[in-house]
Amino acid sequence: MAELILDKRSRPKPGKTWPRPEGATNLREYRVYRYDPDTQENPRIDTYFVDLDDCGPMILDGLLWIKNNIDPTLTLRRSCREGICGSCAMNIDGANTLACTKGMDEVSKGPIKVYPLPHMPVVKDLVPDLSTFYEQHKSVEPWLQTKSPTPETEWRQSREDRAKLDGLYECILCACCSTSCPSYWWNGEKYLGPAVLLQAYRWLIDSRDEATSERLDTLEDPFKLYRCHTIMNCAKVCPKGLNPAKAIAEIKKMMVERKVA
Amino acid sequence: MKTHPAEKGTGTFIRQRVTGIINIVFVGFLIWLVVTLAGATRAEMAATFANPVVAVLALVLIGAALVHMRIGMYEIIEDYIHEPRTHSLAKTANTVFTILIGAIALVSVLALAFGG
Repeated sequence: MAELILDKRSRPKPGKTWPRPEGATNLREYRVYRYDPDTQENPRIDTYFVDLDDCGPMILDGLLWIKNNIDPTLTLRRSCREGICGSCAMNIDGANTLACTKGMDEVSKGPIKVYPLPHMPVVKDLVPDLSTFYEQHKSVEPWLQTKSPTPETEWRQSREDRAKLDGLYECILCACCSTSCPSYWWNGEKYLGPAVLLQAYRWLIDSRDEATSERLDTLEDPFKLYRCHTIMNCAKVCPKGLNPAKAIAEIKKMMVERKVA
Repeated sequence: MKTHPAEKGTGTFIRQRVTGIINIVFVGFLIWLVVTLAGATRAEMAATFANPVVAVLALVLIGAALVHMRIGMYEIIEDYIHEPRTHSLAKTANTVFTILIGAIALVSVLALAFGG
């Protein structure tokens, strides 16, 4: 059966409650998933208090404040801090999103609960292992493929054809969508997931690309594409406001058109 | 119809959608049939199914519903049952159940249509 509950060794236990910062009056409580693979212990949920008068407004600001002022062992990925790199994707207040673009004030009253992206192996604390995700992205060959002689200047594209890439090229591969998808949870090694399929469609629909048939052949499989059951979690959580489910539906349409043509 | 190598998923996807559409279209017929035959005697039912249009439509609906059901259950098995032996057993049971129900339904409709 699909694993519907975590095994005993992976179930988080109550962790340490760290002292409130001295003299601070404007506090926000964070409950953060902690896991250290070097110990034999279960994951735990640590509680921290962030001094809002000394911290920026976003969830990531709070996490970095904790790391800088309370607990330097807290491990997380971050880079651009402005929603472009996708590094700080995590599960915040029950939904996948980017910690850098999610404001603390967007989380309703009570503690801010921060977990790693769900259903992925955890490297440490808030860092998931995205190796399979990146391998799947590589498998759709996300680059321009042509058979025509290379032009002397650039590969030209009309404004209309370029517009077809809107809503696709903006994907930052943060994996929020794929790791929110139940189909990806149950069959993550065989189903490519919404992010990778959106990337696949980005090249299928590119007027300059000349490998459409080969790309569709690659996706012709009961699992790679057709595990999508239009649950739509992907579109709901995408921090860039994209709609991977629509891209997947367009790929299915291309598959059917090719078969009945 | 052009064929491509390894057409595994798309064929199932098309069958699922086509049978789904047939089921939606035939819901009206099914409601009419149930309302018409509510409280009917066997002789009255036989008279209704003796009409070839009713018998053929009933068989088409049963066929489409069974194919759709089998695909739906197959999807659930693929999604959730990963242990190879249980997986194989569940898929076989799904097929056997569909054939069994289909055979019973076929015999029943034909018996009413021809036997009275």
